[in-house]
Amino acid sequence: MKPLRRRRRYWPLVLLLVAAGAQADNYSFDVSQFEKKPFELNGYAELKAENFALNRDGAFYKLNYFGKPQRQSLDRMTETLELAGKVRQSIATLDFRVHADASQDRLADDRNSRIYEAALSLRPKPGLTLEAGKRALSWGKGYAFNAIGFVQRPKDPNDPQLAREGYVMADGDFIWNPGGALQTVAFTPVLVPVTSDVNGDLGASGHPNPAFKIYALYRDTDLDFAWQAKGSRPARYGFDFARNLKTNLEIHGEWARILQFAKPVTDASGRVTTEVGNATSYLLGLRYLTQGNTTYIAEYYRNGTGYSEAEVDSFYELVDAAFARPQPNPLLARALALGRGSYARPFSGENYLYFRAQHPDALGVVYLQTALFAMVNLDDHSFQVTPELQYTGFNNLELRLRLYLLHGGSSTDFGEKANSRKVELYARYYF
Amino acid sequence: MRSVLLLSSLLLLASPALALDGQQILQKVDRNLEPESYESYRKLIDIQPDGSRKEYVLWTVKKGGDKVLALFLAPPADKGRVTLRLGENMWLYMPSVGKPIRITSLQSVTGSVFNNADILRIDYTAEYDVQKAEEQGDQYLLELKAKTGEVAYDRLKMWVDKRHLLPLKIECYAASGLLLKTLHFSNIKDFGGGIKRPAQLETDSPLYKGYKSVMLWSGLKKATLQDEIFTLNYLPRVEELRK
Repeated sequence: MKPLRRRRRYWPLVLLLVAAGAQADNYSFDVSQFEKKPFELNGYAELKAENFALNRDGAFYKLNYFGKPQRQSLDRMTETLELAGKVRQSIATLDFRVHADASQDRLADDRNSRIYEAALSLRPKPGLTLEAGKRALSWGKGYAFNAIGFVQRPKDPNDPQLAREGYVMADGDFIWNPGGALQTVAFTPVLVPVTSDVNGDLGASGHPNPAFKIYALYRDTDLDFAWQAKGSRPARYGFDFARNLKTNLEIHGEWARILQFAKPVTDASGRVTTEVGNATSYLLGLRYLTQGNTTYIAEYYRNGTGYSEAEVDSFYELVDAAFARPQPNPLLARALALGRGSYARPFSGENYLYFRAQHPDALGVVYLQTALFAMVNLDDHSFQVTPELQYTGFNNLELRLRLYLLHGGSSTDFGEKANSRKVELYARYYF
Repeated sequence: MRSVLLLSSLLLLASPALALDGQQILQKVDRNLEPESYESYRKLIDIQPDGSRKEYVLWTVKKGGDKVLALFLAPPADKGRVTLRLGENMWLYMPSVGKPIRITSLQSVTGSVFNNADILRIDYTAEYDVQKAEEQGDQYLLELKAKTGEVAYDRLKMWVDKRHLLPLKIECYAASGLLLKTLHFSNIKDFGGGIKRPAQLETDSPLYKGYKSVMLWSGLKKATLQDEIFTLNYLPRVEELRK
């Protein structure tokens, strides 16, 4: 009997151990902390370090660093704070996104702060929304490029998922579900006025700039038709589509026509003429997921408002001639002005290929993503290749390391950039 | 001879009643797991081999057999993201990007063992046919085959508790026969409104050795939802639907 009694004495301990073991797998979920609040604020703080290997022979190095101490490389630190918030009252919501950054390098200290979005929305019913304020619309199905992004600032193909500054506008959203093959129809009218105080970078002031987009989900295919009236900028219209061909293969495309687009073109002597004509831009893209969980994205982009190889050659000849002469000289002034204008637009050529491959949980590490993306100017065959490592395993913290490698000869798109290589590392903390 | 014919006729008449109706069992499993239209909160926990965890909280609404929306409430990096499923079409909306992009059922928006098809699950009867049903003691074993090649898992083996008509375990297979993952349901809870179902789902996968993902349910209840909210244009406003 004694051993049994002794065993009984240990029962509380055994029960405690069993309970502790059960506790390890006893997951809790307190939903009360996720209740909807009338006011909420979130965002991120980011610290970014960059090292640029400067391309001293590049046209854009010469233009951007004119009058500054000449350097082989440059280190820059950038601190960014982005805040997004919402205030709710009945059917009304006021939401905002503000962005501030400060950067320091050996040549300059820069500070920027911008309201990316701040708009009041009224939603009397799910199918109807009316808005007024600053709003960043995102039209088009392209990943890196957009041909029908008529009322939005262009995205940076190096970081297409970054928030962008919007335009001041009034817009609406009307949604129907007819049913059958036509699953959804939505109509989005927009007014983007340009005055001396607002939306100045959209074009000439004094125009209301009406635009609209009609969306339809028809037989599992996304379809959009977009239009913008002539006003601050030339009239334009276009369409896009996206569809899953298989569970792991998606196809998308965009097509846009811009009427009477005016393009300033220079010759090698700096004489600028304005060419006016209709321009057609389009893109075709694929997204493919392999069985091994690698995603491939490829996009071909035809930029109808871009410069031909001959046109950019003339610009580069002008820059070479301007810097070959004693400075200052009249050619230099023209080259500097053009170098701040349409020739300085990223992806100002005519034909580009974007390619990205990304693999999550790489090297056996969960939350480590490896990626590589490339952008190729198909006309002059210059390119940029960027390997990337991203780790999101720490709670609320994202770490990303990138190496930008630019390659191209003289008078080529990526060969004339201000830098030939860049290393970038950032830590972004979300709250 | 007459008696043999009579016996055969009786057997023929009786056999449909005696045969296990797997499709009917699956329909009951669907309705017992969730009402046809509902809202609920879910927590997804990813557990790494070293024991470290990452948690996601989602608010989910579903309407009918094939419309599901999931809004991320946590962690902060994912807050405001919305995934939408209409049949086999899936989209992800990220507030910073400002537009939905198409995603596939096999991807995972959380990067966990749960893929998009698990997170945006629609009725089993909408995606699968029952090929075989058999009794195994106090359980039914249903063997399911995907209706189309668009479905994330080609075949499922589902063990169903006879008494509650709720799944206990599901094995998910690829078309090649490869076991992709196993789902273990536990902790049957009364959510009120006649909804009594497992509040916990654990999954493990031979493809992610040592990793485990857990899904917890809370606040599951019937909901009346309009079709307009299951559209791409509505995704930026889904948060406003929550009460």
